[in-house]
Amino acid sequence: MKSTLRHFALAAATAVALAACGKKEPPPPPPPPPAPAPAPAPAPVPAAPVGVTLSTVTLGKAVGADKKITAATEAFAKGDTIHASIDTTGAGSATLVARWTFTKDGKTVPVKEDTATITPAGPATTEFHISKPDGWPAGDYAVEILLDGKSVATKSFKVQ
Amino acid sequence: MSDMPDFSNVQSGSSSTAPKIYEVKSGDSLSKIAKREYGDANKWPQIFEANKDILKDPNKIFPGQKLKIPPLA
Repeated sequence: MKSTLRHFALAAATAVALAACGKKEPPPPPPPPPAPAPAPAPAPVPAAPVGVTLSTVTLGKAVGADKKITAATEAFAKGDTIHASIDTTGAGSATLVARWTFTKDGKTVPVKEDTATITPAGPATTEFHISKPDGWPAGDYAVEILLDGKSVATKSFKVQ
Repeated sequence: MSDMPDFSNVQSGSSSTAPKIYEVKSGDSLSKIAKREYGDANKWPQIFEANKDILKDPNKIFPGQKLKIPPLA
């Protein structure tokens, strides 16, 4: 009896195995694991200021010890000394030029040009000034500021 | 005949909170540079002190030398 049962079980198992072999394709290979997500790009490091850059230009009749304008104006009187105060940021060496001009009837003529080479270690203020012993002719003027040869700002003003 | 004003007598200058660089021109002296940069010729020792690395004698400066002009103390 035991032997009969054992033979039956063996035959059944063989039949199942044979049936399985004949019917089924081998299982597909498991999909490749997803590529690891790219590492997040490192947060950009804030770029250090390269060289000297212009921040602001202010005009006025006087400057303080910090070279900043004490009373800003763009309208001057005949006998005024005219100051342009230029704030810069950054460090290094830079050449500032103040190009003063006068315009009348659409024609512009040079008044004066001054250059200052500065070597700031950080924020700095540089002032340029002009005066005319016999007084300024009334009219329209401007000062153009160049930084390392490039025009970076122009301020217009009047003498009344 | 131009009717534009004459600006030949305009006086000008500059100063900075940052050290400036001045290139020596023929005929310059430290006192002349101090007068031009600070408005006071007697301030020349400040320029000399700031340039002791390249100046041994305040009376000997040469065209083309680049001098540091420190902000006025």
